[in-house]
Amino acid sequence: MAERPQSLAEHAAQTDADRREIRELERVWARPPGIIGWFTDTDHKAIALRYVVTAFVFFILGGIEAALMRIQLARPENHFLSADLYNQVFTVHGTTMMFLFAVPIMTALGIYLVPLMVGTRDVAFPRLNNYGYFVYLIGGILLYVAFFLNTGPDAGWFSYVPLSGPGYSPGKRVDIWAQMISFTEISALCGAVVVIGTVFKMRAPGMSLHRLPLFVWAQLVTSFMIIFAMPAVMLASSLLASDRLIDTHFFNPAEGGDAILYQHMFWFFGHPEVYIIFIPALGFISSIVVTFSRRRIFGYTAMVLSLIATAFLGFGLWVHHMFATPLPQLGQSFFTAASMMIAIPSGVQIFCWIATLWGAKLNVKTPLLFVLGFVAIFVMGGLTGVMLASVPLNLQIHDTFFVVAHLHYVLIGGAVFPLFGAFYYWFPKWTGRLLSERLGRWNFALMFIGFNLVFFPMHQLGLNGMPRRVYTYLPETGWANLNLLASVGALILAIGVLFFIVNCFWARRSGVVAGDNPWGADTLEWSLASPPPDYNFFRIPVVEGGYALWDRSQEIPVVIGLSSTKRETLVTSVVDAVPELRYELPGPSLWPVLLSLATAETFIVGIFTAWAFAIGAVLTFAVFIGWFFGDPNYENVDAKEPPEPRDAADALQYLRSEEV
Amino acid sequence: MNTRPVIDVSDLPHHGFDTVDTIWWGNNLLLAIETSMFAILIATYFYLRQNISPWPPPLAQLTAPFSPLPGLGFGTANALVLLLSCLVMMWVDLSARRGSQGATQRGLIICLVFAFIAIILRSFEFRAVKFRWDSNAYGSVVWFILGMHMLHLITLTCETVLLTGWALTRDFDMKHRVDITALAVYWYWVAGIWMVLYAVVYWAPRFS
Repeated sequence: MAERPQSLAEHAAQTDADRREIRELERVWARPPGIIGWFTDTDHKAIALRYVVTAFVFFILGGIEAALMRIQLARPENHFLSADLYNQVFTVHGTTMMFLFAVPIMTALGIYLVPLMVGTRDVAFPRLNNYGYFVYLIGGILLYVAFFLNTGPDAGWFSYVPLSGPGYSPGKRVDIWAQMISFTEISALCGAVVVIGTVFKMRAPGMSLHRLPLFVWAQLVTSFMIIFAMPAVMLASSLLASDRLIDTHFFNPAEGGDAILYQHMFWFFGHPEVYIIFIPALGFISSIVVTFSRRRIFGYTAMVLSLIATAFLGFGLWVHHMFATPLPQLGQSFFTAASMMIAIPSGVQIFCWIATLWGAKLNVKTPLLFVLGFVAIFVMGGLTGVMLASVPLNLQIHDTFFVVAHLHYVLIGGAVFPLFGAFYYWFPKWTGRLLSERLGRWNFALMFIGFNLVFFPMHQLGLNGMPRRVYTYLPETGWANLNLLASVGALILAIGVLFFIVNCFWARRSGVVAGDNPWGADTLEWSLASPPPDYNFFRIPVVEGGYALWDRSQEIPVVIGLSSTKRETLVTSVVDAVPELRYELPGPSLWPVLLSLATAETFIVGIFTAWAFAIGAVLTFAVFIGWFFGDPNYENVDAKEPPEPRDAADALQYLRSEEV
Repeated sequence: MNTRPVIDVSDLPHHGFDTVDTIWWGNNLLLAIETSMFAILIATYFYLRQNISPWPPPLAQLTAPFSPLPGLGFGTANALVLLLSCLVMMWVDLSARRGSQGATQRGLIICLVFAFIAIILRSFEFRAVKFRWDSNAYGSVVWFILGMHMLHLITLTCETVLLTGWALTRDFDMKHRVDITALAVYWYWVAGIWMVLYAVVYWAPRFS
């Protein structure tokens, strides 16, 4: 077995007994080898990196679709794409970027980093985590196989009825969309449960909630949003599918159904979705700002409360996507107010970051550049957001390129730029090597310039009346020049992304070796080797302050007494992180993959026959029987009565003592 | 850099009940997802109700039954069965906590009988709705509510079968005792959410 790099701190502290224990941990937590191993692995780091790579591949595919659209629109009356293919391309582009790229990749970073930041050895539900990945993968493959078979969905990424209903979209295209939604939402929901379980129950002793890094807060808040928002879209897409497949009438006005109902259900998910993508990015930014300004965050409490406020307000905005529907004016003005109100917590956060950066001796590296780029772009997107929140203006520019410009400013500015910053920031932790700074600066500059060239002109195009989702336009409209400019911008943006890909491949082989903590950062993942060992922490640390590594005493306080012959980790209390259990986590297993196949059978065959659900139920139950009775070996089940947890009380006393 | 051990956890137990164990959180978070789903489904029901007046719409045929309202019998019986089953499940819950294996086994078997009765009653409930799912939006939403809850009844039954199987044939270990208490939470939830859905499906149309 290859020698893993060891953390300096670990290495220095080792006695012979420690080394024996580490060898044992390596054996117990070893990742299963081979192809079967790839399917059964439960290591959160491996699963997260798979998510990252898969989501990035979908990002590239979505980007290629965007490029096709920009080629088509570069000049008037172009015949590069047919109208029908253009419909599929913009639908698959939007669907890919929202469901197969943005949400999964944000979850992925959480799955990788949350256990490391809270100081534990794996996520709370490792097998659920694995299941979530495979369900996501199958959903993504379903969409693209259908697309390549000319059955790609073509009713827009939100598939409004009646266009997407049985009357106007015969065939299987929209069914593919609806089932893909089920796959990705199941996966997102699994990820949310995994993250919340880990944050609430697996934190290292001493990491009470008010010492939680802002990154983890952001992941926690996002996960709760997922839990309350995603069921809406799963229900919407299920009702749509049942209207199409078994002749129900939820959205059929002729039989008492309602098309606006679909919009309500979709946007009750769709608006929080924006924040589900955006709030994790806020977490990346906070991590990066703290590290590169080498300062504690200004207004920690205000930041946490802003995150929570954003999440709550995010559920009260959905109707501002529906201002062009005949809803009561009074109701609309409520949503205008809520839409404007959300600028307050966002503003609080922006000002807290500025206050943290202000006057600090900045360490201007690529991650920070992306954050600064985020501030510029996101403020722009926020401003057009305030404009769109006003009903009269919204009615004028509804479904024009102005909206396209706004949403890309918010989503690319608010999520993709911080995400690239996060890639540069955490890449050394994932691979052990730093990305090139020089290529990184080029990457940033090209993306920043390219992005603004693509999307800034779209504001004007929208004001000039160019509707979104048209496959071509006439020369007399006068939209040609700005469209050409946008297409040139798209090329520059694409070259910027290409720089990133080249940088990744280059750094994998020739990047500077990072060491444990190349940035001098404060969170616990940087106390580990890069990449971290399979078991993460040799000894679970005891956290002494809100900035775990900066607040650490010379002699690091640690937890002892966990077994090194089982996959054991510490379960602690929700608020104060007082040790409660020595919990054995489940190890590698084939059952989650088999379960994901049963899920796949249910939804994919379900497009063709309702019997698929009965078969799926039987398959699922069969898998659960195997899962439940099949491998009791992973756990040395403890049949004894548990001893009184007297050490927990001692630990609480210790944590509250002066010493910490 | 050196480490100093400050907390020794070797005496801590492996499992605990309720909020101590991660399984409680996982279970409750999944139930939170399903609760959101039913909340939106109920909102859908009342949203569609605005479109159809009277609600439910009159029946097309002029033979008995004349009232389009859903028949109360099977739904009410099911509500009672589910409430009663909660008492048995509470007994199972307490027995699992106490560690009395025999009581848990007996209780689980009784619960399974209740679960099967509930599923059978449910299949009659579909017939008590005077419309098919493809008749109109009223029929669609009522069938969907009943169906989604039926899905939970089936899931609950399957989970109970698994745990009963374990309790009868394997060790009555702490891990699975905790699992049984998590099953109990799910059971209370399935019964509890039915009280709400029962009110929506059977009583909301009677007060309009």
